Amino acid sequence: MDDKRSRFEALILPHLDAAHRLARWLSRSPGDADDIVQEAFMRAYRAFDTLRGPDGRSWLLAIVRNCHLSALAERRRRAHEPLTEEHEALPPRADAEAPADPESASIERDERRLLAHLIAALPEEQREVLLLREMEDMSYREIAAVAQVPIGTVMSRLARARAALKALWPQVEGEPHAMR
Amino acid sequence: MQCAESLRLQAAFDGELDAVSAAAVERHAERCPECRALREHLEHTRARLRRDVDYTQASPQLRARIAQLLDAEESAERGAARRRPAWRARSFWLGTVAGAGAALAASLGALLLVPLLRTSMPDELLAAHMRSLGPGQLTQVISTDRHTVKPWFAGRADVSPVVADFSAEGYRLLGGRTDPLDHQRSAVLVYEHGAHTINVFAFMPGRAPLPGEVSRRGFHIACWRGGDLGYCAVSDAGWEELTALRTLLEDLAARDSR
Repeated sequence: MDDKRSRFEALILPHLDAAHRLARWLSRSPGDADDIVQEAFMRAYRAFDTLRGPDGRSWLLAIVRNCHLSALAERRRRAHEPLTEEHEALPPRADAEAPADPESASIERDERRLLAHLIAALPEEQREVLLLREMEDMSYREIAAVAQVPIGTVMSRLARARAALKALWPQVEGEPHAMR
Repeated sequence: MQCAESLRLQAAFDGELDAVSAAAVERHAERCPECRALREHLEHTRARLRRDVDYTQASPQLRARIAQLLDAEESAERGAARRRPAWRARSFWLGTVAGAGAALAASLGALLLVPLLRTSMPDELLAAHMRSLGPGQLTQVISTDRHTVKPWFAGRADVSPVVADFSAEGYRLLGGRTDPLDHQRSAVLVYEHGAHTINVFAFMPGRAPLPGEVSRRGFHIACWRGGDLGYCAVSDAGWEELTALRTLLEDLAARDSR
């Protein structure tokens, strides 16, 4: 009887942090992310018998994404307008190490904040594949399962996301990386 | 301008190519300054992201709430299992038989239908489903009684589907509404199954094949023909749960036509 619970805890629960990060990246709001993740875990537990194969992470993240979209649709419908502006960009890292030198620390903080804004400004579909690839180290196949698109679409979105950041890098760092 | 090899270079960078293809890309990059610059950009981007993007963890509070939620789900399921042992046993067999049929239909569908299917029907269904989940949008007539719901469709919808409440089997009829679908006024039956809402759209099917079984954004859409009508069930419930409802409705239609 407790078999389902223990299998769920072994296969799905280890991906709670990844689920939470994806929810944050998608919703761009830490508060919403908690709600999305709770909803996703409830749905995941109820649908756990439909999980086929061992890839619990992609399966859970697909549900997270789905919950994000439902929440977004619900909010839009209530407000009758998109709420993107209202959502803050990813906040600067709160747990950054204590600065050794105040000036370089503030430059670093600015860079982080700017990067967070650049990523937040990407279209959602690009932001999602970029972060799943670079931060969660997922394969194209896994990302395709999360975003529910063909692998070719993952590749082109990834290329567009990376190219979009390229266009923005010089503003961040004054082109130290110009062609050598 | 972008080198035609850029996506392959990216795939090599992401470790998605086998050794032979990766070596071919490498040889190409030796001759192609554009690809070398691209690779430098990819490396730089990865380093920046991994250094500067928050790699956060769920808070202890969230973790605790998830644990509570799982406790609640688990005990609710145990209660449900005690109350409905007969349905559980039956649903297993229904699920198995229907599941095998669905798997066959799905594999046939993948071969035959998908290339033909450039219609927007799944999108239209999903949009209607999402719309219905808003407050007050779900039902226009609220009743678990088929004798209320079925006549309600007369004059409001273009078709008259089979209607029944399957509460005993876990699918409670909440009511009905009409939705525009494929240029018609479809009749929609609304069921509740656990936490899931299932919309069953009934309409006059055109000559084009029905979508069969498709997933969109985590929602499942199962379509079938019953008599003259096309039916599509849409939900975030699992395939087996949709298939079980489909079986109930098909059995009902078979009984009605006798």
